[in-house]
Amino acid sequence: MPKETPFVSAPGTSPDTIETTLPKPVTQIRNQILMFAITLLLGGACSIVAQETPRVPQAPPVGAALPQPAPPPKPPPAFYRNLIVLDPAHGGRDNGAQLSSSAVEKDVTLALVQKLRPALVAQGFTVAATRDSDPPDELTTDQRAGTANHVRPLACIVVHASSAGSGIRIISSSLAETDAKASSGRAVTWSKAQVPVIAMSLRLANETGLALDAAQLPVLLLRASVPPIDNLICPAIAIELGPLKTEAGKATLPSDPGYQQRVATAVAAGLASFRTHNAPPPISTPGVGARPGVTQ
Amino acid sequence: MIPRYQRILFWSLVGCILLMGAFLLHGCREAHKRLTALNDATPIAAPTTAATEEVSLYIASDADATIKPTRSQVALPQDPSLRARALLEYLLVQYSLPDSAHPLQSGQAVDDVFFLADASHPNQGKEITVNLHGSFADNHPSGIEVEQLTLDSMIGTLHAAFPEFAEVRFLVDGQSRATLAGHSSLDHTYLLRDTAMHPMVPSEAATQP
Repeated sequence: MPKETPFVSAPGTSPDTIETTLPKPVTQIRNQILMFAITLLLGGACSIVAQETPRVPQAPPVGAALPQPAPPPKPPPAFYRNLIVLDPAHGGRDNGAQLSSSAVEKDVTLALVQKLRPALVAQGFTVAATRDSDPPDELTTDQRAGTANHVRPLACIVVHASSAGSGIRIISSSLAETDAKASSGRAVTWSKAQVPVIAMSLRLANETGLALDAAQLPVLLLRASVPPIDNLICPAIAIELGPLKTEAGKATLPSDPGYQQRVATAVAAGLASFRTHNAPPPISTPGVGARPGVTQ
Repeated sequence: MIPRYQRILFWSLVGCILLMGAFLLHGCREAHKRLTALNDATPIAAPTTAATEEVSLYIASDADATIKPTRSQVALPQDPSLRARALLEYLLVQYSLPDSAHPLQSGQAVDDVFFLADASHPNQGKEITVNLHGSFADNHPSGIEVEQLTLDSMIGTLHAAFPEFAEVRFLVDGQSRATLAGHSSLDHTYLLRDTAMHPMVPSEAATQP
């Protein structure tokens, strides 16, 4: 009995006849595999071509309404001309200076800020404070600077009190103004964030000093390196409330509510004058959005 | 007649008292030696043997927030580090006098003074490091004006005595500290400069931008 060789061409036959020698189910499977492979190849080629071809914007259908361009997002203003940040220094475990047997600095600064807030509101300002009470944990000066820088106020007032000296001291940053020209257009470091606005801070100190002088309160302008003033990007001053000494030898302590009220009223008037001279109200033009670097 | 056992007890008690007295005396002497050894024994060249010389002291006043340079005759050692330390101690002693216009607590204030120079730039970038005692900083009056006046007073005095140095850094007990007494910053270097000043008063001329 001859041996069956169904998948090998028989001797004396040409290769063309191999198909005929394969069983029918095998041929069908092979065709299906080939078709599947060709389909895959064509699909891959089409997807590559679709990725590399630049998309041509589709013309809108005739008769359809032209879509209006979306308005650009409103840029943040350089600063809010009606916003003032008040920073009552110290607080929590940090009592500050011992002003008398019963008064510590952290309480006096908070009391002055609580009197300053309504006085500023009466001048049309919005007021934000770094603390409104005595927090259990101490606020670091970096946290205070971060709070003030985040809201972009017209000015930041840091309030201190002392038992030394006499009268009120207004302190501006001791950073050199020459650094402002050198750093213009470049990023400033955290320790010198005040440099670009140092000239405005000096004007703010002067305006506040004039208002206190008009209120018959002795005032001097100083420059010192006091955290967090150097880290603030807005015009900033520190106000140090000292004892008010009279020629008769009597002294009014910084914890005196009447003294604090006089100071608060005068400082609010000084800030209003500073706003008038340095941040006039913007001219609103219909249809024109706010631009970066303008006040609001 | 005193019984024998009472005599023995009496003399035993007397002996114990004497022993306890001797032990107490010995303990007192040891404690005194220990306390004496803790005192600052840092050698300072004796100024009594040096000739006095004229120096500039920048004296602060709290009442009007001024710093005025004054001339004073002081005997100082020749070594720069000891000289700077003695000069600053002499300056701060003026503030502990009863009639001082910038009253500070008496006591040792300056622990060490170091002179640092940049080897690559020998003529620039020289820095003085003043290491203050922690007790001085802890007992310093608290306030922006009073703290800044103390710092400016030391800065001006060092600048007058060592004009070739550019900067000064203040440490407290060898460590960097955020503020002197809660207000004026100590965590950066100060330029050595003439700090004589009269505070400004507000003026109408400086109002306009």
